[in-house]
Amino acid sequence: MIAAMAVPADAAPAEDVRRVRRDPDAGMIAGVCAGIAGRAGIDPIIIRLAFVAAALFSGAGLIAYALAWIFIPARQGGTVAARLRPARGNIEAVIGIGLLVLSAALLLRAVGWWVSDAVVWPAIAAAIGGALIWRQFVGPGGAAPAEATARAVQAEPRVEPLPGARRLSVAGVGVTLVLGAALVFLWANGALDAAGDAVLATVVVVVALGLILAPVWWRLGRNLAAERAERIRSQERAELGAHLHDSVLQTLALMQRRADDPREVAALARRQERELRAWLLDRPAARADKSLAGALEAAAAKVEESHGGGIEVVTVGDCALDDRAEAVLAAAREAILNAAKFAGDAGPIDVFAEVTPRRIEVFVRDRGPGFDPSSLPHDRHGVRESIVGRMERHGGRTEIRTGADGGTEVELSLERGAS
Amino acid sequence: MSGRPGDTVSLVAGLAIVGLGVLLVLDALEAIDLSLGYLAPAVTATAGAILLVHGLSRSRER
Repeated sequence: MIAAMAVPADAAPAEDVRRVRRDPDAGMIAGVCAGIAGRAGIDPIIIRLAFVAAALFSGAGLIAYALAWIFIPARQGGTVAARLRPARGNIEAVIGIGLLVLSAALLLRAVGWWVSDAVVWPAIAAAIGGALIWRQFVGPGGAAPAEATARAVQAEPRVEPLPGARRLSVAGVGVTLVLGAALVFLWANGALDAAGDAVLATVVVVVALGLILAPVWWRLGRNLAAERAERIRSQERAELGAHLHDSVLQTLALMQRRADDPREVAALARRQERELRAWLLDRPAARADKSLAGALEAAAAKVEESHGGGIEVVTVGDCALDDRAEAVLAAAREAILNAAKFAGDAGPIDVFAEVTPRRIEVFVRDRGPGFDPSSLPHDRHGVRESIVGRMERHGGRTEIRTGADGGTEVELSLERGAS
Repeated sequence: MSGRPGDTVSLVAGLAIVGLGVLLVLDALEAIDLSLGYLAPAVTATAGAILLVHGLSRSRER
């Protein structure tokens, strides 16, 4: 039976549990205190109090927290809710650009190329606020919730849209910036002198309300994120159930009806196994037309269905099906076919393919009696032309080895960059 | 640069901080007069460059 395994070249290493990792899920801001407390095995409130106390000494705690936020990575394999958050790299890049713009503004101010503090600073604040509002409701952050959910489930490496509550929070910051900039502009130009007391009273009331309602908003955001994560999990369960019903259960029912034909039952089981593996590894069927690994697995599956036996395919790396890859594929297909025809009953056939940026290598091993390539009759073109000749025409090479106790290994090797 | 992303970040961060350090040394030696008006943009530019490169490298890693 086919056990097709694609080993990604960039597989992430297992996370070292001894290292400190931020825990954004359990944290109040960036999860620095929760991560340190989790590593030390103490209550996060102790670390939080230590940071607050340090912040009272010339802001040392704030600086330490900011540095920890930057340099301590978040733990991997977070929850679905964590995956819904925007990419941290994007936030850092935006803050970096903001600081560079601020630096340019400060430099212009220092050298005297400056209009007026009363104009430029409110204008910059209003521009930032406007950009935040625009991005949340018009830009990529304003994607539909269903699309956001789908992207979060698939964890695609792209800009994730923000969940509704977070989007409103960011938009709120933008609105505050724009309103604040307008007020500062009016105040700096003396337009607020007449209504100064009323504006001050309004600002005080708004700040007080914000302080009162902040914990409620924070809790509301947490609840919404948890509810959203639960909904995504339930969608995943429903999708899994539907897939099992449409594929595995149907195949099992079919196998019961064909129980008197062992060959047919084995073929059904192998086909279902291939489909299930492809689904679990999230490999679309179309890949067989475009990539060498997919095409190799498809070719092995076809030979297995027509000749029986078991063929185990392992691929490391992959490449597009260009002329050179097509040549290796055709030669490998012929080698697999020969192994299935002449050694299929002796045990499973192993196919190992490795694709690097410079080379394609495929090994086909069987457990048959073996043969001497030089003793093949001249009218047998399978090995001589379809394998050896084809590889040589494309600048590759073929080695056929037979062990002392039987078994044949066909090695196909082709430089990808060679002409 | 074809090295690891972390190498680029370290290089930019190191160069930016060295540049800032050179400015501070020149000011201490009174070779230049580094007032707050010039120091503030230098510090914010250093922090901004580090954050920008670090953020871009993280985005590429995703």
